[in-house]
Amino acid sequence: MSNRNGLVTRRDFMKTAGAVAAAPLIVPSSVLGQRAGAVAPSDKVAIAGIGIGSRGMASVNTVLRYEDVRFVAICDLKRERRELVKKLVDERYETSDCMMYAYHEEVLARPDIDAVIIATPEFWHAPLSVQSAYAGKDVFCEKPCSMTIQESRALADALRRTGRIYQAGTQRRNGPNFVWAVEAARTGKLGKLQTVHANVGTYLMWPPIPSKDWLPAEPELRKEVFDWDRWLGPCPWRPYNSFYVTGGGGWTNWYDFHGGGILEWGSHTVDLCQWAADCDETHAIEYVPQGANGAPYQVHCTYPNGVKLVMRDGNNLGERLPNDGWLGMGSCSVRFEGDSGWVETGDGGKIAVSDDLRGEAPERLSDRLVLDNHWRDFIWCIKTRSQPRANADRACNSHITCHAAYIAFELGRKLTWDPAKEEFVNDAEANRMRSRAVRKPWAI
Amino acid sequence: MRNIGQDNPAGQKPAGTSGRREKPEIPAEFKAESIEKLDQAALLRILGEPGSEPAAVFRKAIACKRLAVIGTKDSVPPLAALLGDDRVSDYARDALESIPDPSADVALREALPKLKGLLLIGVVNSIRRRRDPNAIEPLGELIRGEDAAVAGAAALAAGEISGPLAAKMLVRALGTTKEAVREGVAGGILLCADRMMAEDRKGALALLDLLSRSDIPNSARIPAMHLQVTAAASLKRPRVAPSQE
Repeated sequence: MSNRNGLVTRRDFMKTAGAVAAAPLIVPSSVLGQRAGAVAPSDKVAIAGIGIGSRGMASVNTVLRYEDVRFVAICDLKRERRELVKKLVDERYETSDCMMYAYHEEVLARPDIDAVIIATPEFWHAPLSVQSAYAGKDVFCEKPCSMTIQESRALADALRRTGRIYQAGTQRRNGPNFVWAVEAARTGKLGKLQTVHANVGTYLMWPPIPSKDWLPAEPELRKEVFDWDRWLGPCPWRPYNSFYVTGGGGWTNWYDFHGGGILEWGSHTVDLCQWAADCDETHAIEYVPQGANGAPYQVHCTYPNGVKLVMRDGNNLGERLPNDGWLGMGSCSVRFEGDSGWVETGDGGKIAVSDDLRGEAPERLSDRLVLDNHWRDFIWCIKTRSQPRANADRACNSHITCHAAYIAFELGRKLTWDPAKEEFVNDAEANRMRSRAVRKPWAI
Repeated sequence: MRNIGQDNPAGQKPAGTSGRREKPEIPAEFKAESIEKLDQAALLRILGEPGSEPAAVFRKAIACKRLAVIGTKDSVPPLAALLGDDRVSDYARDALESIPDPSADVALREALPKLKGLLLIGVVNSIRRRRDPNAIEPLGELIRGEDAAVAGAAALAAGEISGPLAAKMLVRALGTTKEAVREGVAGGILLCADRMMAEDRKGALALLDLLSRSDIPNSARIPAMHLQVTAAASLKRPRVAPSQE
């Protein structure tokens, strides 16, 4: 990105110095793309996609609508995926310019690419995000953002060092109904906040503890069609089985590939709870697991400010749980309880409140544009170098809370956590579970 | 097991279908439960079993995962013996990274001269994870070695360990190393500076100033400039040249 004299270019400098500017930047409207069709090519944010499957396509389809963004490249180990995404992009732009790559190094080496969408299986999320940041790219990375406590911290540290902009794919932070509920909690509408509840999914689909079994071995595909060794990437070796890589998350619920059920939705709902409880910069300090891996479960946690967090099995498949008022308002639902009121909401946009808030709370806020809101937030922050709603620090902290809960559940005992030292108190076994080795040559 | 040339192996989803496939049956030799219940002595016996077929790798893999949680210093030698096995070494490293006993550091350092290529990089990365302060010298030798990828990994490991010894070694390397290794060494200095900031701010800023030169790769230079700006902003005072600090 330097000019021929090796000096840092204006584009490079804007990508770093702006991040710590004390005063708001005055940015011309043309840069922000506010005049549709009038965005100069040099002001368009050039984006590449890495590992674009069914989830990643939602982001690709979103950005293809933006005049101030240009999707320029697709990287995927599967040839058929590369070709499919290229076809979609080329049809949208009426060109044949979208480049295809099998390996992410080629994408990261392009100086013209400003940002990447990372939508690979989750064990690649943190290593790829870190590599992308050091390569000078801003990052939109699907959740979950990390596989361990150590990875969470390494991710946040890398983004801090590099000054790159990071947005986790926890788009509910820009969902109107969720924002309303969080604001109610943070502004005192509920009184003093007592307890926050996070629906972390159901054990029937995502047990808290993934399986350490292996699937039977199948013959590997030719590398040009699908590179199994590269797909494994940072995960230790195991034989190939096509089920792992089938669309729809065949890798979920396998220990090396998936962080477990708590993280599956907890990366969204615990994240919202931390925000509501004003704990974005810390982690829960106490974890008490309840239930077993093959049954409805909960983890009861406490934040440093005394607010309780209940991570709860979703109960959205008819299982009966203790009647503590939880309504269960669909996927990724959250409930915030204060000493004078409560609010509960979930995907679909419906909002339920205590009697005294009726009339003040909307019955529903459409979540149709949630991903669009989240992406506009990210694009704005790329241009202004301010921090988006789901930045690396917030993602790191909510993920640490989820990972710590997982460790408590796997060990089957109460754990106490020191957020300042980022270690468990008086529990050597738990501390040994804060990280995993990464397969050579990868590192994070 | 590998059959190069296969495009449609058995079990792949049929074309035209949608929705999740049924999960295949788990063969008995790939079920982890019984191994996970074993004590350390039994797990160590598994590590010594012969065979490199997937079933044998699986048994060692699960044993290593369990030893990562319960293994003591008694586990270190059998785990170290697996560091030269391409498929099992990463599982062994997982356990060695987590065993608190210093014999794990010794075992990893002793493995360095015995390995090459990716296996050596793996051990270097484990040393990096453990931040072994006694590894700076051997890492320095690797930085000066022939394998650029190993050298780069060693530089990052030294940077992660940080401290005056690492800083001195890395700065010297920056001036003498091959072009192919330069990016890794610069990255190591960046890590070193970041880790040093709380305890030796002046030293850290000096390293960052070094990285701000125009001949430093962007992957280190731009983050270094960013860290200089944030370091100055964090103290809410005008930025001055490090020599004036």
